[in-house]
Amino acid sequence: MRVGIPRGLLFYRFFALWKTFLEELGVEVVISPPTNKAIIHHGLVYGVEEICFPVKVFLGHAYSLLSKVDALFIPRMVSFHKGEYNCPKILGLPDLVRSLFRVDAGVLIDDEVNMRDRGMRGWWEGFLSIGRRFTKNERQIGEALKRAEEAHLAFRKKLQEGWLPENIIDGRLPLPSREKKVVLLGHTYLLSDSYINMNLVRKIYNLGYSVITPDMVPEREVRSALKALPKASFWTISNEIVGTAFSFLEKERPEVRGFVHLVSFECGPDSLVGEVVERYTKRKKSSFPYLRLEIDEHTGEAGIVTRLEAFVDMMEWRNAHHESYLPTSSAP
Amino acid sequence: MRIMKATFPHLLHLDVALGILYPTLGIDILPPPPITQKTIEIGVKLAPQNACFPLKVTLGNFIEAIERGADTIFMVGGVGPCRFGYYGQIQRLIIEDLGYDVRFVLLDHPRYGIRPFLEALWTMAGKTFDFPRVVRAVRLSWSILRFTEELEAQRRALRCQVENPGALDAIVDETLETLRDVETMEELEILNQRVKEKLLSLPKKEKDGFLKVGIVGEVYIAQEKRVNFDVEKLLGDLGVYVHNSVSTVEYILHTFRPLTRSRDKMEAWRLAKSYLKRFVGGEGIDSVGSTIRYAQEGFDGVVHLYPFTCMPEIVAKGVLQAVSRDFDLPVLHLAIDEHSGEAGLVTRVEAFVDVLERRKRRRKVEVDS
Repeated sequence: MRVGIPRGLLFYRFFALWKTFLEELGVEVVISPPTNKAIIHHGLVYGVEEICFPVKVFLGHAYSLLSKVDALFIPRMVSFHKGEYNCPKILGLPDLVRSLFRVDAGVLIDDEVNMRDRGMRGWWEGFLSIGRRFTKNERQIGEALKRAEEAHLAFRKKLQEGWLPENIIDGRLPLPSREKKVVLLGHTYLLSDSYINMNLVRKIYNLGYSVITPDMVPEREVRSALKALPKASFWTISNEIVGTAFSFLEKERPEVRGFVHLVSFECGPDSLVGEVVERYTKRKKSSFPYLRLEIDEHTGEAGIVTRLEAFVDMMEWRNAHHESYLPTSSAP
Repeated sequence: MRIMKATFPHLLHLDVALGILYPTLGIDILPPPPITQKTIEIGVKLAPQNACFPLKVTLGNFIEAIERGADTIFMVGGVGPCRFGYYGQIQRLIIEDLGYDVRFVLLDHPRYGIRPFLEALWTMAGKTFDFPRVVRAVRLSWSILRFTEELEAQRRALRCQVENPGALDAIVDETLETLRDVETMEELEILNQRVKEKLLSLPKKEKDGFLKVGIVGEVYIAQEKRVNFDVEKLLGDLGVYVHNSVSTVEYILHTFRPLTRSRDKMEAWRLAKSYLKRFVGGEGIDSVGSTIRYAQEGFDGVVHLYPFTCMPEIVAKGVLQAVSRDFDLPVLHLAIDEHSGEAGLVTRVEAFVDVLERRKRRRKVEVDS
């Protein structure tokens, strides 16, 4: 049986886990090619017009796989952290694919993985129900999940060493480290798809900076920094973004010169937590540079470049003057 | 201790019900002034640019109320995944940064701490120990909230049928004003009877077979006629019988499940299952289920109202494409935000009604021949 995994959204987080799990169960895994113009085009044609750009890209990937595989692997990742949720669009993703492409329910592997209330039990039950589609042997599923989790941990470890998911997936070496750094905040599926983010990491590198992404910060630090909020949000990935930013507001890291927050125009969670990051940054380090870059299918590369260059100039200037009370521009 | 002057966000006629409840609890309230263009402008200026529209309008409510002397804000939280559950946190940050000296009382789900929950509840419920009186007040204001919704239901159903919609509006609006002074259940019952008689005596058009349109969508935008350009009135004036599946009463009943339950919502959730397998936050699944119900009940079309970028409703919108196709039921999606223009909206609604009329006529011809 050939099962396709669309290269989008949570794929960039669970690539190793999903692939290993399916392969351990004897499934042939097909991953859609890196995002290209045709994929985006299909996503735009079939997607709901106002849905966020990454979902459109995901839909394009799903479409590109439809004719090539027996089933699409779109597990309903309701929650992968206790007490939290994913965004509604991820919750409804399998239903969206089903409705928009008019595919049969049988073509989708859409079992629910939900750790919100039941923690690891929900996790196990989700994967058990996926595994049952391929084998009746529960022990084999358990073994496969164990291997998959090991692969996932190895993957996460590599991310903390400075690899981006797309480097690992496509076997490309990451860019060498630079002395000066910016914290690049945002969802992994934006930061790690260099086609849709217009090679942002490379652009920042060429301007003389390395990036630190939320994936590179240990989860413990992220979660403990998040405690500064009276109530953290209920979206896991957005919480990680806020926690990452907060962890850099607390500690003095002179090589870290600013925040760049990459958001997609329609992103609901980021529209609120972005505000939290921005306001807390102003409160705690009043002049710490913060840039919010919004992208969607209409974004022009020139605009991004101009804003990045201006931002880098500002960071350099601020650093040269060694003053911390200089005003900074804020995102609109 | 200074005397607390509390305010809360508007949601259609919620202020009427709370205006009955709070004086009994011994809490002074100062409802925000009615939503106007100015309210929206204030909210848009202060709120995050891409936040959803209800956050902006309710923030505008708070600021306008604060400027009129309110010093305490009552707001509720939520558990997600819809953004509504995080409104309070963001609005508090914004109001703090503006430097207003107000107290933000946020009633959140007990899962975010039982102590803050009880403290907020304690503040919101006042310190009255006269329990029978409190129970009476809660019961009365709940009945009043129901009654305001019944009035609106009458208004949208009757608008296309009566000779003079102006007289209908006059009766409903006058009753809503009178409601603010109701003190007992008996008074409410008398008022109820009187309105029913008045509405019955309105001269009706001699026409039959009205187009029937159902409204589904997000709880705030689909109800709050001051921000949705009064789509119901627009449809009614075009000669359409309108039903709205969205209701604050049902919303509250559903929120406190399993203590209370909303039969409407449970039905909608059951119907939606084959299209949207699970709850996706907000009213996403309700919109899908209610649309299916309208299809089964023989409605001619559905208007889907939601704030621009609303996450659950966008999922619903995608799924509704399949529902609309399978049940052969036209659905008009209207996303509302501060950039929505009335003229554009009117044109789209008129065109939609034209489509429905033509479909109906064609069907009639097919049946006759």
